[in-house]
Amino acid sequence: MFRLMRNIHLILGQLFFFYAMLFAASSLVFIYRPWLKLPRSEHEQTVRVAAETARTPRALAFELMRNHRLKGELGNIKQEGETIQFMIARPGTRSDVRYSASSGEAKIRTRRDGFLETLVQLHTNHGFWHDFLPANAWSLLSFLGSVGLFLLGATGIYLWFCHHEERVIGFVILGLGLVYSLTTLVLSRTA
Amino acid sequence: MYDWMKKIHMYAGLLSFMAFVVWGVTGIDAIFLPRPGEWQPPLISGHAEFPFEGGGNLDDKKLAKAIYEAANLAMRGGYYDIRRDEAGHLAFTAFTVNGQRDLTYLEEQRRVRIDFRDGDLGSFFSSMHTGHSRRGPPDLPARLWGYYNEFSTWAFLFMVLSGIYLWVATRPGMRWALILGGITTATTLLLWVMTR
Repeated sequence: MFRLMRNIHLILGQLFFFYAMLFAASSLVFIYRPWLKLPRSEHEQTVRVAAETARTPRALAFELMRNHRLKGELGNIKQEGETIQFMIARPGTRSDVRYSASSGEAKIRTRRDGFLETLVQLHTNHGFWHDFLPANAWSLLSFLGSVGLFLLGATGIYLWFCHHEERVIGFVILGLGLVYSLTTLVLSRTA
Repeated sequence: MYDWMKKIHMYAGLLSFMAFVVWGVTGIDAIFLPRPGEWQPPLISGHAEFPFEGGGNLDDKKLAKAIYEAANLAMRGGYYDIRRDEAGHLAFTAFTVNGQRDLTYLEEQRRVRIDFRDGDLGSFFSSMHTGHSRRGPPDLPARLWGYYNEFSTWAFLFMVLSGIYLWVATRPGMRWALILGGITTATTLLLWVMTR
């Protein structure tokens, strides 16, 4: 049984290593953000789009995705007169588009975040309703990782309990952690 | 080195256990959150009122700030959406880890009404999982939880790295573990490239 549990613990650790690193690193970015200088680059481009392919914001967005290498999810759609505005975003990259039907030009301002900020956005990415498929895949990974966290905890507790010489100190540490955390949680919930 | 690493790995996990539970619940609960724009606040679960005399020379933003401070809501974490309701009353929404609070200034009566919209346990955990030593409500329990949560984040990072060390130190040639590691690495890289 011990051997089986140790192998399950290792399998789960292997499966969720990158997920765990993503969440640990991005959590630290959240905490120490004021001290970090997170790189970000921006660039602008103007492309011509024929009026017939820009009849609706969605049609224009698909045209830009198909022929101008934009990828992500369509959002923040605004249409005023002959001007269409929207954004196409994916974790780490966001393009703001402003299209004028009279000139047939779409101005695209793209902001590309660095590695750590992208991790932060993957951390907060959730749900399976995304049009951008990789975002759904990251959500699935988050969900499985969260389930994995419980299983890692459960197998970890079992493995600790099998170390007889660690039981007493282990109970003290576990007890301290539980008393402290549960007390603060309950007091916060009932405040 | 190995023995100490194993001990610290174990102790870190035991001490941080409750934080992992909160993170795990939050991660699972997040899957069921509505998509942006479809979120509905919880139903009103209670009311409270208190007397308040607003300064005549305050604009809505400053008045909302004064009311927010005077309300002294428990476990508060900011306010937003300052507006005038249909009756012309100043209204705004405050965030607390236990749910949304709608505040309305009834100017003629010189009173502030608070509508409580208590969130469920899932949203409470979601709020608490973001707390750290410098973030979260100013209330003492939340501050103490923040320190624990921040410690647990470091403990988690340590456990991930020490877990790899413990594997490599004891069973480096384990074929299926190497294959699994390779598959995980390739899948993550592929997903990263597709995203970027």
